[in-house]
Amino acid sequence: MAGLAAVFGSGAMTNSIEEIENADCILIIGSNTSVAHPLIATRVFRAKAKGAKVIVADPRRIPIILQSDLHLQQNLGTDVALINGLMHIILKKGWQDQTFIDERTENFEELKKVVEHYSPEKVSEITGISVEDLEKAAEYYAKAERATILYTMGITQHTTGVDNVKSLAHLAMLTGNLGKESTGINPLRGQNNVQGACDMGGLPNVYTGYQAVVDQAVKQKFEEAWGATLSDKIGLTATEMFPAVLNGKMKALVILGENPVVSDADCLHVEKALKALDFLLVIDIFKTPTAEMAHVVLPGAAFAEKEGTFSNTERRVQLLRKAAEPPGEAKPDWQIIQELSSRFGYPMDYASPRAIMEEIAKLTPSYGGITYDRLQGDGLQWPCPNTEHPGTKFLHQGRFTRGKGLFSAIEYKPAAEMADEEYPFQLTTGRVHVHYHTGTMTRNSPSLEREISECFLEMHPEDASELKVGEGDWVMIASRRGSVSSRVKLTDVAGRKTVFMPFHFLESRANILTNPTFDPVAKIPEFKVCAVKIEKMDRSDKSISSPP
Amino acid sequence: MEFKTVLSFCPYCGCGCGLLLEVLDGKIVGTLPSKTSPVNQGKLCIKGWTVHEFITSPNRLTQPMVRQDDALHDSSWDEALHLAATRLKEIKEKHGPDSIGVLTSAKCTNEENYLLQKFTRAALGTNNIDHCARL
Amino acid sequence: MSTKIKEAVRALLTEGKIKGFLGLREEKGNIMPYLFCDPKELDALSLGDWKKPGDTRYPLNQLMIKLAMAYPNETFAVLIRGCDERGLKELFKWKQLDEEKIVLIGLGCPDELAKACECEKPFPDSLIDGPKGEKVDSQKVAQVEGMDLDTRLQFWKAEFNRCIKCFGCRNICPMCFCNECSIEEDQLVGTGEIPPANPTFHLARAIHMVGRCIDCGLCEEACPADIPLRTLYKKVGEIIHQEFGYKTGLSVDEKSPFNIIEVK
Repeated sequence: MAGLAAVFGSGAMTNSIEEIENADCILIIGSNTSVAHPLIATRVFRAKAKGAKVIVADPRRIPIILQSDLHLQQNLGTDVALINGLMHIILKKGWQDQTFIDERTENFEELKKVVEHYSPEKVSEITGISVEDLEKAAEYYAKAERATILYTMGITQHTTGVDNVKSLAHLAMLTGNLGKESTGINPLRGQNNVQGACDMGGLPNVYTGYQAVVDQAVKQKFEEAWGATLSDKIGLTATEMFPAVLNGKMKALVILGENPVVSDADCLHVEKALKALDFLLVIDIFKTPTAEMAHVVLPGAAFAEKEGTFSNTERRVQLLRKAAEPPGEAKPDWQIIQELSSRFGYPMDYASPRAIMEEIAKLTPSYGGITYDRLQGDGLQWPCPNTEHPGTKFLHQGRFTRGKGLFSAIEYKPAAEMADEEYPFQLTTGRVHVHYHTGTMTRNSPSLEREISECFLEMHPEDASELKVGEGDWVMIASRRGSVSSRVKLTDVAGRKTVFMPFHFLESRANILTNPTFDPVAKIPEFKVCAVKIEKMDRSDKSISSPP
Repeated sequence: MEFKTVLSFCPYCGCGCGLLLEVLDGKIVGTLPSKTSPVNQGKLCIKGWTVHEFITSPNRLTQPMVRQDDALHDSSWDEALHLAATRLKEIKEKHGPDSIGVLTSAKCTNEENYLLQKFTRAALGTNNIDHCARL
Repeated sequence: MSTKIKEAVRALLTEGKIKGFLGLREEKGNIMPYLFCDPKELDALSLGDWKKPGDTRYPLNQLMIKLAMAYPNETFAVLIRGCDERGLKELFKWKQLDEEKIVLIGLGCPDELAKACECEKPFPDSLIDGPKGEKVDSQKVAQVEGMDLDTRLQFWKAEFNRCIKCFGCRNICPMCFCNECSIEEDQLVGTGEIPPANPTFHLARAIHMVGRCIDCGLCEEACPADIPLRTLYKKVGEIIHQEFGYKTGLSVDEKSPFNIIEVK
């Protein structure tokens, strides 16, 4: 989100899900859409049926390429070069939207200077994509009346994540594909309420609605509303908290419904940090590996057992209804938090989630018009500043949040950890269609576990034959951080020397391997590229390393 | 006897698909896609179709637990909350507010996220709050 | 909103002839299946017409089976259209529901819906309200039939390639009541891949819909990939009509050629 915020002044999906099906060109980059966001893939299928050109840029031959007109199989971590290359071609051919550039953006010359150096030949060399395909992609995207970009963690989970996002935003601005229906730059959020958690100030630098903690007027507003003295010092991100524990600065953690022992890069390091804590409180619905390490575990209610709202990837706030009681003594998290707070000495006494939303609306301009009564039908898309406002389908119409869209010069930088002699393979991670994140929910679902019940390492058949490894054999995968074992799945989904592993499985935690080095601005670790070596395991080792 | 379907929203990816939970005598027995939802228009993926399975899993946590002699034991709410509040207070007093960090959840509601950041900022006194947006 | 239907249900409930009425309830812009047990609740009754006729139909028969399993001794009424009635006739034959314990509250479909569905019989015999519309012949099947064999195979394979294996076609099907499902048979389709084995996955399901599919079209509406499943299953229905002279769900007395073992 930091990338979009730098260019436009705010970060969220610019357009709505339903608009995707009316785009004339869809560029899907770093998104395994039909696996990770199936109901958005539906809109891509429909656009395709209506004649849209679909370009998929992904190092792997993911299922959505079956519906594409063009698959750009870029080398891992070369997105900036690819996008600069597309912009180079667009400018050379004069396909840019000069009126949009002149009226709505600034700093265009700087972009132009950098992009100049990214000739199709040079970009082809870096990305592994043919000059012909680069030209075709530039033409499809630039010549479309309405072109839209869909991306996810394949773009952001890099040390150059912010650069990647900014580059995509530049591409959209260059061609005037912003502020209109069925265009835009659309980060598909991976978690049902990750948008909401951000909107609600679940971030170290902002209160609700992205109001900065360093802004004194904002601080004063919240101090008055909350009757407390507040800090104007930006807090630590999750990726900074674990090192802070290990160097002794952080002593206690409260973790609500997250499982960093499986989800975080270099998770052995995370495990070490959690062990070093003086106190760990976990609130969850399952006894996750993170909960196992806690001093106190509190049982929460699942989404179906409480009222409240979720904000989806298109900024749509939707109202949950309670369907059943939580099991045993489990309680809705909002009740748990207010009981904890009251005992801590800061009393909270909300009668219901509805009452909490009333307070949110008062303190948050973009949620100002959101009330439970108004959420009964289709929900409301923020910004929704007042109770007469119908909500906002797409952003940046006529004007960006920061005024003019900001171009900047971005050079391609390779991933932080490239394959070398010792670690000759590049590992990338992701999801499979039946599992989700750390598997806390999906692995407790028999229908899903039936489809895929254990981890696998996707490997090119030619690489496998060099290692004398066959389908289903066990291998040990090691990076500079640790090693895990997994069975091998032979497939040419990715190119030679590129391997893929899903990160859902505790028995073969891919995140033991991943590189915690993070983007300097967004502080997102480079989950999507790290260097590994792979060895075939003896049959005799199998009993030790195979999942329980 | 009671049988109804209750409108809810999928807890997996960010699409925010509307779904109907089938509730028979207070128990969730199945899931249907909501036909009136603007996002999914009566369709779901395999994960959405099966949400009732994890909700009703026997592995759900049903009781607060506290660590004693290096193992987690069932406890009462009173004991668990008292211990949590006391330990957090002690640590804040001894090491300062910034010695505590909070991870809120992209799985929880807006209201819960709001309350947890309010607790973090107003009660604990730190801006050390984040969640898995980066993961 | 149909007063005739509301009154029929009210009478059944008040006279104690049924324990409840399984229909649709409208609540603040959302239409959802609901079991009406109290006549006072009937003001919220919906017939499943939201923006277009029949666009909020749900597999009520499937829910009826769940209810009947929980309460085998009770009698219930259920809201049905022509297709749902065809379904009930088959479900009675297959002993999934007891004819004696179900009261049919029939609704005829308007022409617009009958045409969209290309419906064989867009009204139930137990019609309480709504039109008694004309049969509509299927153009969609004819269109696909018009392709030569190779083109036709390519057409279907291209359609199936979009499949995300949600199992929605099976999950929403009011006629899928098997305990073991062939499309979950590892030997046949394998696991963990999308799109699933093409065309095996969809053809295996199509074959299993023979003598079962009553052409309600809920599968196609539930498909996230917009695969024209209804056309595929209509064709399957045509084949058994040609081969066995049997039309699925049209008569309660005529035995299904696929259900010749009688349970006495």
